[in-house]
Amino acid sequence: MPTAYLRRHAPFWLSIFAGLALWEVAGRSASAAFMVPFSTTLVRLWQLIVSGGFFTALLDSAELFVTGFVLAVAVGLPLGMLLARVRLLRVGVEPYIMTLYATPMVALIPFILSMMGFGFAPKVLVVFLFSVFPVLYNTVEGARSIRPELIEVAKSFRSSEWALWREVMLPYTVPYTMTGVRQAIGRALVGMIAAEFFLSSTGLGQLIMGASQNFDTGGVFASILIIGLIGVGLMRAGLMIEQHFARWRQ
Amino acid sequence: MTDTAVRVTAPAPVARKNWKLADSAFVPRLICGVVILLIWEVAVRALAPAYVAKPTTVALAIPKVLTDPVFLKATGETLAAVAEGLGITLVFGTIIGLWMGRSLTFDRAIRHYINGFNAIPMIVVLPLFSLWFGYSTYTRIATIIFAAIFAIIMNVADGARAVPREYLEVSRAFRASRLSVLFGVVLPASLPYLLAGVRLAAGRALIGAVVAEFFLSIGGVGYYILYNSRSYHHNEAFVGVLLLAGFGVGFELLVNWSIRRFMPWYRRGDKS
Repeated sequence: MPTAYLRRHAPFWLSIFAGLALWEVAGRSASAAFMVPFSTTLVRLWQLIVSGGFFTALLDSAELFVTGFVLAVAVGLPLGMLLARVRLLRVGVEPYIMTLYATPMVALIPFILSMMGFGFAPKVLVVFLFSVFPVLYNTVEGARSIRPELIEVAKSFRSSEWALWREVMLPYTVPYTMTGVRQAIGRALVGMIAAEFFLSSTGLGQLIMGASQNFDTGGVFASILIIGLIGVGLMRAGLMIEQHFARWRQ
Repeated sequence: MTDTAVRVTAPAPVARKNWKLADSAFVPRLICGVVILLIWEVAVRALAPAYVAKPTTVALAIPKVLTDPVFLKATGETLAAVAEGLGITLVFGTIIGLWMGRSLTFDRAIRHYINGFNAIPMIVVLPLFSLWFGYSTYTRIATIIFAAIFAIIMNVADGARAVPREYLEVSRAFRASRLSVLFGVVLPASLPYLLAGVRLAAGRALIGAVVAEFFLSIGGVGYYILYNSRSYHHNEAFVGVLLLAGFGVGFELLVNWSIRRFMPWYRRGDKS
């Protein structure tokens, strides 16, 4: 058992260890203003955790992320399903959704700032805008995959509208929606940081901004490390959600 | 609405092939577009202050902005930066991706880093890059590369891994050198993946460029938008947003078109 475990996971740990060693060496040989070694980053991270600044930042960011993201799914999924059912509406709206999906939403941040100011709501709007279109786009894409025969059969058995949604539409569309959800998680994270950078400064975004303004390179690295780990964790969660639903998908 | 839905769901799968049906989509699209613009116009007129962008005033601003040398210069700068960044990304991303796809050791060594960096929201590195490269255009290029390269690497690596075994066996039977196998067989075979990666990367590169311009206040479309919206010239700024949206969509269409045109076998069954 342990040798099998070792054989499978040794390359992973070896590469992580080599990477950290490289970071340590690079950090020690470079000027402290540019790069700090891994050990210093850990020390700085520990200081942030002990001082409590880290957890308040994390909570602030989590509140923003969750509010915006849940809103995006709550709007994107039903709207996408509606578009799926009403084909005429879907055909009409599709190019606009595609356009918005491809538009860099960051460009709207200055407008949101000057119209809505520095509160919590504009930041939620940013996260929402970043994440709603992947959900919507993929849901509509999934709706296209529903074979028309299925709806016809359901109709010819006099299925009620509600049963049709529950038994045919939802199972067929949700796996695609989940692809959108996975993409939306990544985008919402970018939106969260962007909102915290360019609107009122709070949370993890402020942690990193503050550190860079004080030339606290250790703090910058510590925050990037943490945000990176959160990003990896969220991505993994998104992938698991997607794969869980992908079993239905053809 | 509901009665139309029952009737029209049937021809959906044929829509892609049948051009007449595609043309019939034009009318609902036009109507939806007009409705969206109307809602926007009315809502802004009723609820928002006068400086907020609305369709009529934005339309009036378009000719003025498009002939404004400041705007043209900004567009050129951003586009050049994105093109340069994407060029660098494409070369290095493809090489690293191919290598990852064909060498298990290399793949194991760096795969977690690629995945990890890909998961980091790219904006986060801006403060660090501005420490490293200063408030300069180098930081913008670096941000663009960071934003785009991992998408390319991951897609090319997937593509290189998915190359059919027979191709490699045949090239080995003909004693092809490693390098010519890599660039003569593996690269062309993984081209669809590369293009999918490019589509992703281009969108991210654009975001990276705009964010960098916001953050660093260096010339470009992003800064043009920021500057004009700060000085309450929302209409002018919105033309910048339209331009960015145009790039995003244009690139998406370009990639889709080239997949259909040059790799028609790839799309089959991908979208119904």
